[in-house]
Amino acid sequence: LLTAPLPQERGGNNSFTHEALTLKYKLDNQFELVFVVGFQKILTLTYVDKLIDDVHKEFRDKYRNEFQQKGALGLLNGTFDFKDDFMRLLRDAEESSRVRAPTVMKTFEQSLKSQKTVKCMIETRGEKPKEKVKNKKNKGSKKEGTETAAAPSKASGGDKQPSAAGDKEELTKDEILQKNREEFFRRHMKAGEKSRSPKPDAQKEKGKKPRVWDLGNSNAKVLDYSNSATNGSAEACPVEEFDPDMALGDKNREPGRLYDLEYESEDEAEEEKVVQNTSKPSTKKGGLGGMFGMLKGLVGSKSLTREDMDPVLEKMKDHLIAKNVAAEIAVQLCESVAKKLEGKVMGTFTTVTSTVKQALQEALVQILQPQRRVDVLRDVMDAQRHRRPYVVTFCGVNGVGKSTNLAKISFWLIENGFSVLIAACDTFRAGAVEQLRTHTRRLNALHPPESHGGRTMVQLYEKGYGKDAAGIAMEAISYARNQGFDVVLVDTAGRMQDNAPLMTALAKLIAVNAPDLVLFVGEALVGNEAVDQLVKFNKALADHSMAQTPRLIDGIVLTKFDTIDDKVGAAISMTYITSKPIVFVGTGQTYCDLRSLNAKAVVAALMKA
Amino acid sequence: MAGGLEPDLAALRRELSGPAALSILIALVAVAVTFLIWRFVQGRRSSRKAVLLLGLCDAGKTLLFARLLSGRYRDTQTSITDSSATYRVRRDKSTSVTLIDLPGHESLRLQFLERFKAAARAIVFVVDSVAFQREVKDVAEFLYQVLVDCTVLKNVPALLIACNKQDVTTAKSAKLIQQQLEKELNTLRVTCSAAPTSLDSSGGSAQLGKKGKDFDFSQLPMKVEFMECSARGSKGEEGDADLEGLEKWLMKVA
Repeated sequence: LLTAPLPQERGGNNSFTHEALTLKYKLDNQFELVFVVGFQKILTLTYVDKLIDDVHKEFRDKYRNEFQQKGALGLLNGTFDFKDDFMRLLRDAEESSRVRAPTVMKTFEQSLKSQKTVKCMIETRGEKPKEKVKNKKNKGSKKEGTETAAAPSKASGGDKQPSAAGDKEELTKDEILQKNREEFFRRHMKAGEKSRSPKPDAQKEKGKKPRVWDLGNSNAKVLDYSNSATNGSAEACPVEEFDPDMALGDKNREPGRLYDLEYESEDEAEEEKVVQNTSKPSTKKGGLGGMFGMLKGLVGSKSLTREDMDPVLEKMKDHLIAKNVAAEIAVQLCESVAKKLEGKVMGTFTTVTSTVKQALQEALVQILQPQRRVDVLRDVMDAQRHRRPYVVTFCGVNGVGKSTNLAKISFWLIENGFSVLIAACDTFRAGAVEQLRTHTRRLNALHPPESHGGRTMVQLYEKGYGKDAAGIAMEAISYARNQGFDVVLVDTAGRMQDNAPLMTALAKLIAVNAPDLVLFVGEALVGNEAVDQLVKFNKALADHSMAQTPRLIDGIVLTKFDTIDDKVGAAISMTYITSKPIVFVGTGQTYCDLRSLNAKAVVAALMKA
Repeated sequence: MAGGLEPDLAALRRELSGPAALSILIALVAVAVTFLIWRFVQGRRSSRKAVLLLGLCDAGKTLLFARLLSGRYRDTQTSITDSSATYRVRRDKSTSVTLIDLPGHESLRLQFLERFKAAARAIVFVVDSVAFQREVKDVAEFLYQVLVDCTVLKNVPALLIACNKQDVTTAKSAKLIQQQLEKELNTLRVTCSAAPTSLDSSGGSAQLGKKGKDFDFSQLPMKVEFMECSARGSKGEEGDADLEGLEKWLMKVA
């Protein structure tokens, strides 16, 4: 289930679909916890994010002691009786997301609004609960994506100070409950539907812009808006139109108008704060000035914040891209590393840079180390035992080195005592068959039949040009079975991934002949194209296969490795996209230039300078 | 400017030549020596006191870990990170080892092995006796990777192959598992050493066992034992686990 994306460094976004379920998860890196919420994919539940955050906070606060006690003993021996709390949170979240009738509440809201603004004006600076209420509501509304402009404006209608620097304390459980309740109330006041807008921030922006301009308008016009808003809420208005109206409707108060400019900056500050809150509420930020903050960062337990990591990650991302890793892969990698490190407590004398570099290095090594090592020799032995040939197919775009590497691999197999049949299924390129024939002759000269018990180690099966590749492959395999060859290497023509008819032909060849190993040959010089190539190749193979589980690319051969100096990023891009291992690496044009991948060396070259 | 420095330097030299200088020097030396001793002691103390629990996914490592430490049964999930705790050997209260439970997931296992292999005094390789026939190749491959690792070869930790899940009737016996593993490792050492050399031709894989003869666990430099155990226990979830042999072995190793 969830152990698939997390170990594979794909933890960028926090949701994961598996069959009929969608799983949303949240990592707590400080205590190494994972919170998972699963629900049916067809339902769109809007309160899930909020629920997960609430559960996270409550659980952590409640069982803080068990976690502090170092090691697994605490986890093993502690009883985690969280069921009641969880049910309560779930109920709250469910109820809060239900829609209430708008008309009845409207008048009450008007009065409450006026009440609030006056009250807020009187409130003093250090009023923490009010701030927290606002923050929580902000977070909630931000998540829900409803009344985005309205909620903050309502809350901050009278609130003076920018709250960014202020609230750093833990939110205790009682306050959470109180906040929940208050929020619960507020949400009932709101009219309109709860619909999840994917960009609540964008909506906030939309709501802001008209407001600024309307400052110059006369009162009457502004009043007009509020009236239409009250009427509009009774009907079934689309939400997009609705929100700006609500925001405008709020502005008709004199005090409201005065506070507008402040609100904007506050809002941004709040947004920042909200983002911070969501990511790590328990951060001890170095609120002290420069020197102490720096010292504190050096010694003692400082937990990582997104802001600390962002500049470092930016630099690492640029570094990776400079090393020829595909751009989108670099971005996703950095995202996943950021997610893994957020909230983690750093040890003494470690800087943010070193921690991030370390994490990135581990992630890269993990990507390069395959799920299951492809041991070709072992599998060939297995096939030998069953008296059938082991079929390997080479595919890739034009000019990457399929035929050359095919020859190298057949040399290696012959050295290990297996007999090889080369099937020339490249019936398009001029000279393809002759090329393979030359290789066969050379290999036979190097390993004459006399030294291998009288049988020819390498033979070519070809049917000339212009014929159907899939048919040739099938005949080659049955010929090999009859003659007792151990391995069949099928060479196909190079094709661009966008060329639909050719991709269909390749897919047909693979689907019909069911090879044991499908190797994608890619050159190390390729940059962002690697992503496109692999995705399209896999897609073509999946689309045109009749079987339940289609045969996809099983391994990658990385060629022309000697031409790149240390810009080895293509290896990362390819393995990340397919999560299949790099089986061979080609480092030249002679028969001995075949290597296997050394993950640590590649990562070292990647991270160097 | 230079003139200003001259008297300062002279003053400094005078300062240093006094008895204060000697005491400063002695203090520095004492600090350095203490530091070195502390480092040494820490290194000694934390070196090689760990027992690693390795194995494929779903072999039963985490449950074994929980049973050894707390004696109770817990529902476990696939581990994605390591867990470590100190385990007091049953009879003799004074000795204790650190049990470390590593995840078995393919993408994680090597990474965690790298981290902890230097501290390993003993390795418990947990094998799922029920699914062994299906997984024999993967088990052998992982075991091979553990055995040819240079740090492991250098430290030579004791190795116990725990054939878990013996409470199920279809579980294979330890003898059978041993034979199968020997055969598989025999093949593997040929194929792995014949693989193309790695990019910078570093770390040539060591030869496992003797060249001419078939592979046998007795050919390894470390002590290897096979043992049957059951983390779940024959009486189901309420009863105790069947870990007598494992505990005796841990006592011996600690």
